[in-house]
Amino acid sequence: MSIIKAEALRYKYPMQDELALDHLSFSIDKGEFIGIIGENGAGKSTLCQALNGLVPHFHKGAYGGTVTVAGKTVHETSVGELSTIVGMVFENPVVQITGAKLTVYEEIAFGLENLGLPRSTIIERVDEAIELLNLAEVRDKSPFALSGGQMQRVAIAGMIAMRPEIMIFDEPTSQLDPQGATEVFEAIETLSRNGVTVLVVSHQMERLARHADRIMLMHGGRLVAFDTPERLFAMDFSGISVRRPVYTEIVRTVQKAGGISAETVPVTLEGAAEWLVKHRG
Amino acid sequence: MSLYVDRPSVIHRLDPLTKLCYIAAAVTVPFICPVKSVALLVAAVTYILLAAGRVVTKVLPLLGFVAPVLLSIFIIQGMFMPDNHALVFRIGPLYFYKEGLSYAALLSLRVIGILGAFSLLVLTTKPSDLIQALMEKGLPPEIGYVLNAVLQIIPQMANALQRITDAQRARGLETDGRLLDRIKAFFPLIGPVVMNAFVETKDRAMALEVRAFNSKTKRTFLHVRKKHPADVALRIMCLAAIILAVVWRLVG
Ligand SMILES: Nc1ncnc2c1ncn2[C@@H]1O[C@H](COP(=O)(O)OP(=O)(O)OP(=O)(O)O)[C@@H](O)[C@H]1O
Ligand SMILES: [Mg+2]
Repeated sequence: MSIIKAEALRYKYPMQDELALDHLSFSIDKGEFIGIIGENGAGKSTLCQALNGLVPHFHKGAYGGTVTVAGKTVHETSVGELSTIVGMVFENPVVQITGAKLTVYEEIAFGLENLGLPRSTIIERVDEAIELLNLAEVRDKSPFALSGGQMQRVAIAGMIAMRPEIMIFDEPTSQLDPQGATEVFEAIETLSRNGVTVLVVSHQMERLARHADRIMLMHGGRLVAFDTPERLFAMDFSGISVRRPVYTEIVRTVQKAGGISAETVPVTLEGAAEWLVKHRG
Repeated sequence: MSLYVDRPSVIHRLDPLTKLCYIAAAVTVPFICPVKSVALLVAAVTYILLAAGRVVTKVLPLLGFVAPVLLSIFIIQGMFMPDNHALVFRIGPLYFYKEGLSYAALLSLRVIGILGAFSLLVLTTKPSDLIQALMEKGLPPEIGYVLNAVLQIIPQMANALQRITDAQRARGLETDGRLLDRIKAFFPLIGPVVMNAFVETKDRAMALEVRAFNSKTKRTFLHVRKKHPADVALRIMCLAAIILAVVWRLVG
């Protein structure tokens, strides 16, 4: 059953000539883990904002087509109402710190206070988010006194504590060290297994390939491909620089040398190793 | 950024709104009853409360700051008030009169009392508690947010300014030295600070939106403000004091 559906979605920022989103049509099922990839300026962040209503309610401009999330038509529903259905973490963690709270704990609770939830529920959910994102040791620190990576995790915690059924992460690990990135992807995986529909924008192909059910490849505002990692990374894209997972690159190099063409490629370390063992000699 | 002094005291535990009521009474009563004894009484009560809050010493610098002003009021009113008749003393060619000095005393007591009353609130109340108390009484959340954010941002801005100053200085910009040089050096600093703030405002607004900041439901306040049993009684006393003063004025 599809929880997100876009039909001929078009969008142009005010005073811009080019479409930032160019006739996008796709549908996403409840509980899917979706990766979004593409070069800088491809329209990934704009697409994310078209799913939670910031496009077209916050960013004005020319808008066409329809997007429905959980049965609601985005351009007819306020951002406030959508915020309980679609959660979003932005690229820049600094601007997501509200600036009005004294501690990380209060910062994470901000959205829940706004929703008017009972105090006991808030405490329960904030504690859970702190645990999931490993923030226990900074819990009483000022949000301003955090490192970029810690801020990013606080922003994620503040969103997931609101428990929307769809969660969008726009480059959630850009400021994290490898260990932190692994932890965040695992936290997202946990949410996904609990039935949350997840969309993650990232340039970390190995991680996306490992976790995502399907990946969207965007270019110039268009959706170039939307398929499973194994099929998507097997495609040839002329004129688009897509970095494939290194494991895939190894296999493709071997394939090219052997004149093999395949519909699917392995995208993980284990998958590539298995493929190489099978095709030995 | 706050002047709050963390001390274990009854005054600290009082509701911020009670302290606001006290300010209302302490400011209006001495004006409704313009006699020295009332102003003295109010000031005395205020400083007893400050002592109970263990913050009296924190008011002293403030009093030191206004002392020269008060002194000049004594000199000017004492010598030149038009109603002056009864000579009290003279220093060489300077004649001081009773009426003027008495009026200056009244003014000074009021000023000292008002300063004390505001200090009582500021020194013994966490700003965030005061803002929350006001929000619970209907202050719009947008204003509450801005007040909280400003209190948090000021030290951040100061930090940012310091960092940028250091960066500019590393590039050879003059930021020490004579006042004029420093003023001239200050302008190139404003650019980055203002630009930063400006670019981030829009993103921040989006980030607030997706966290239901514009939600119309009644907010929860995570932080529980403890109610002190004395609060209601004290507020009634403040109100009673104002009413008494008005009655005194009308009758007397
Ligand atoms: N607020 C805005 N106003 C005008 N144009 C914008 C705005 N934000 C993005 N754009 C333009 O829309 C296009 C898509 O931008 P978008 O931010 O969605 O790209 P992206 O895929 O997220 O890139 P990145 O990988 O750099 O984050 C770009 O051409 C960009 O210049
Ligand atoms: Mg982006």
